[in-house]
Amino acid sequence: MLSKYAFATAALATSLLSGTAGAADKPKVAFVPQITGIPYFNAMEEGGRRAAKDLGVEFIYTGPVDASPIDQLQIVQNLINQGVNAISVSILDASGLSPLVESAKAANLKLFTSDSDAPQSGRALYVAQATDEGLGDTLIDELVKRTGEDATIGIVSGDATASNLNTWIGVIQARAKAKYPKLKLLDPQFSGSSSDKAAQIAGDLMTAHPDLKGLIAVASSTCPGVGQAIESANNVGKVFGTGYCSPNTARSYIKSGAMPFTVLWDPAALGYLTVWAGKQLIDNTPLKASNTVPGLDKPVSYDAKTGILLLGDPSVFTAANVDQFKF
Amino acid sequence: MPQTTATHRKLILLALLFAAIVAGFSLYAPRFAQANIATSILQFSTLLALVSLGQGLVVLSGGAGIDLSVGGTVSLSAVLAMMAVRAGAPPALLPVLAIGCGLLLGLVNGVVVTRFGILPLIATLSTYFIYAGTAMALTNGAPIPGVPAWLLPFGRGTVGGIPVHFLTVVVPMFLLAAGLLAFTAWGRWVYALGFNERSARLVGIPVDRMRLLAYALAGALAGAAALVSLAWLGSARPNIGVNLELESLAAVLLGGIAITGGVGGVLGVLLAVVMIVTLKSGLQFVNVATIWQVGVVGLLLILSLLLDLLPARTRLR
Amino acid sequence: MPSAFRIVGQRELALLLLCLAAGVVFVALSPAYLSAGNVAAVLRNCVELMLVGLGITLLLAMGGIDVTVGLVLGLAAIAIGRLLLAGFDPWVAAAAGPLVGLAIGLITGAVVVFGRIPAIVATIGLLGVYRTAVFVALGGQWLSGLPPTLSAIFAGQIFGIVPVSYLVIGAIYAVAWAALRKTPFGLHLLAIGNNEERARLAGIAVKQVRLGVYAVSGALCGIAAIFYISTYRNVEMTVGSTLALDAIAAVVLGGTNILGGRASLLGTVFGVLLIRMLQNGFTLIGLPSLWQPVVTGALLIGALLIERGLGRDVLRRVTLRAA
Repeated sequence: MLSKYAFATAALATSLLSGTAGAADKPKVAFVPQITGIPYFNAMEEGGRRAAKDLGVEFIYTGPVDASPIDQLQIVQNLINQGVNAISVSILDASGLSPLVESAKAANLKLFTSDSDAPQSGRALYVAQATDEGLGDTLIDELVKRTGEDATIGIVSGDATASNLNTWIGVIQARAKAKYPKLKLLDPQFSGSSSDKAAQIAGDLMTAHPDLKGLIAVASSTCPGVGQAIESANNVGKVFGTGYCSPNTARSYIKSGAMPFTVLWDPAALGYLTVWAGKQLIDNTPLKASNTVPGLDKPVSYDAKTGILLLGDPSVFTAANVDQFKF
Repeated sequence: MPQTTATHRKLILLALLFAAIVAGFSLYAPRFAQANIATSILQFSTLLALVSLGQGLVVLSGGAGIDLSVGGTVSLSAVLAMMAVRAGAPPALLPVLAIGCGLLLGLVNGVVVTRFGILPLIATLSTYFIYAGTAMALTNGAPIPGVPAWLLPFGRGTVGGIPVHFLTVVVPMFLLAAGLLAFTAWGRWVYALGFNERSARLVGIPVDRMRLLAYALAGALAGAAALVSLAWLGSARPNIGVNLELESLAAVLLGGIAITGGVGGVLGVLLAVVMIVTLKSGLQFVNVATIWQVGVVGLLLILSLLLDLLPARTRLR
Repeated sequence: MPSAFRIVGQRELALLLLCLAAGVVFVALSPAYLSAGNVAAVLRNCVELMLVGLGITLLLAMGGIDVTVGLVLGLAAIAIGRLLLAGFDPWVAAAAGPLVGLAIGLITGAVVVFGRIPAIVATIGLLGVYRTAVFVALGGQWLSGLPPTLSAIFAGQIFGIVPVSYLVIGAIYAVAWAALRKTPFGLHLLAIGNNEERARLAGIAVKQVRLGVYAVSGALCGIAAIFYISTYRNVEMTVGSTLALDAIAAVVLGGTNILGGRASLLGTVFGVLLIRMLQNGFTLIGLPSLWQPVVTGALLIGALLIERGLGRDVLRRVTLRAA
């Protein structure tokens, strides 16, 4: 019986290991998303792979199954142990990264953030999709253009613990307070990461506030729920949905008018830039104030003081332009 | 006593499996065998180990014992302890606060189960909702920073390659629990009431008080895990305990404790915890997508229990 | 035994009153609560939980449990969605839901029954396996942009008022009620829940019945998947992640004995309704959604404590039977 057990284990081990081929001695760049299996990070992965091919590095994409900060830290630690030359992470919990930064420095590896930052952690740099202010302001400004300044607007977010989403909510709230004093912004509601819960909450918000004019889907996982709820309640044209939603996720809602516009950057370009930045760190190439990245349309600015490498301004997707984008 | 050869055989199998896993990964990826891998594996084992020890004691003492609220207890203890410090409690009390909160939450479970006779699965499912939910709602999901700097070395430091918290909390706790279970009357009682509750009551073992203690200990250990998380991350995370209830159950059962109680020991649990973390790290090391880890651990759990089937057939049923 | 057959017991009545009380409070606090739109929304939100909860009711009454039900719904939904995207007739796609659910239910049942593993443990293990399966079946992507053909059939109303979903739910509950009362299968199920050993000695085909109930529960998850897809037209990785615990809470709240032997279908209906009413009502009166699980937990434990407080033999309950 014992040997049977050992055999089963061995078989399991071989079957798992055979899938992954050993790699050549190319420098390695890794990206750790907040969670795997969502279109947004899949798009970043795809961009990263393209960059890896162009730049001649090996790309590793691995992340937690749940948005669990400990799991994520464990994955980063693992990559450090593996000796991956440059590791980027879209951090879930900014406070947990600093010990790992030290650990990476001790191993002479580069640890940096992308997509979600940990500014106090001592990370090598931060690859930003856009400034938090740019994202928050664009969204609320565009929305107010459609709802008017004395509207009631609801916010549906995903995981309450995601620090980047909470930052954007904060920016939106601050902008509304400063620029649109008549705007009534409801407290954010959190749906966890399931889209049916987001749909239920969005529906409930519309019922509770018959004067509701706008609904903001902050997490990409809440986009389909919000769009769906507006359509189901026959509120297209009455309630304007929007959010940080990729064209692929929101296309049908953008076209139906449930979400007249959404705001996002090109996550594939962000993934591309992330790997490019990793390559520069490995090569110890200093970044300039403005960098031309082959494979990206526009030059990329770098602020040496804050260590932020900025992809550019966020894009606004509407029915007029959504079909030009395939992410 | 039920500490039989079956338990020992299971422990040996577990150790062999563990060795096979380490050997397999080391052969495939030589870097895996480095010493600092061990450091990081132990670093990530502590939370699960502490919680699993408590879970193990609860399951061991029978009465369909199970604690689904352990993860919520970790989160809520961390949050409450930090909120107390922010509200003016002396930071020096942080360890006491965290463990105390855990103890209290565990006591609530114990009282509900033993005094009111509510089935542990349902009682702790309810408190899971309450504890985990309260931790999130109190903080709106945002971490509470401000853990005093003097505590951080406890969470981040190492001695001879072994994380401080593993050395100073996990190892002593498991040794203590193993010693108590093996050599004291208390330990024999735990097995007795897990193994055959009716006769345990008949010989005058204070069954309910023992179980209350098990839940309280599980809570206190979850509080200790919360403390480690504070010292490690430097902030109180409202969802730090997410998934720990299921992972700890997997570790307990994989470690050879029977879900009906009365059979098994805590050292197997520690071995199972380290094995699970090693397996996850190893799979990741060879770049197997993380989602497979969940499935492999689940499969391992089922396989280990199917194994019980073989000798069980030869016994009287 | 007669308690198993009571149609309206104390518990059901208490739950009904609680639902009504909650309704009154919410109406007082939020004028929108009683609007036709909101009532429809609450009912709509109950659909999956009603079906999944029925399966859990049967399982618990038999002394079993299954924590994977949310993922079974997810896997069935993925099958339906894939077929829809491949251009299959919506009826064919819909039929795949219960079939996939049934198949997975059989797998779960086989592991529990033939593996002789306590159900709670086996399904915790399978939870990991099925999660991986969901991920693989989705290919790491979301299923989105599903054609509305299925919605046209299953998300609509008959005579403009009765939702199709509730016709189906009503029919299924009627069948389940009759099966529990009138058929050997139902009697055997409850007998196993009362005392498995005695049921075996009485000549009941215990293994077949247990396997059958897991299969039925799986099929019910598959039917729930049809309505899930019809409504949300989207399946993502975290599909059904909170469903199992919500369902167990609702069923236990409804008075089904988790140690087996008693099923209350009406109790499940009210339990589901109450949980969803509270979730909806809380958002409506402006309480943060993060408090919702706390309310669910408090309700569950409150109900059980009150029941206990009414005085029953405490010790008798602590039977050694791992769920």
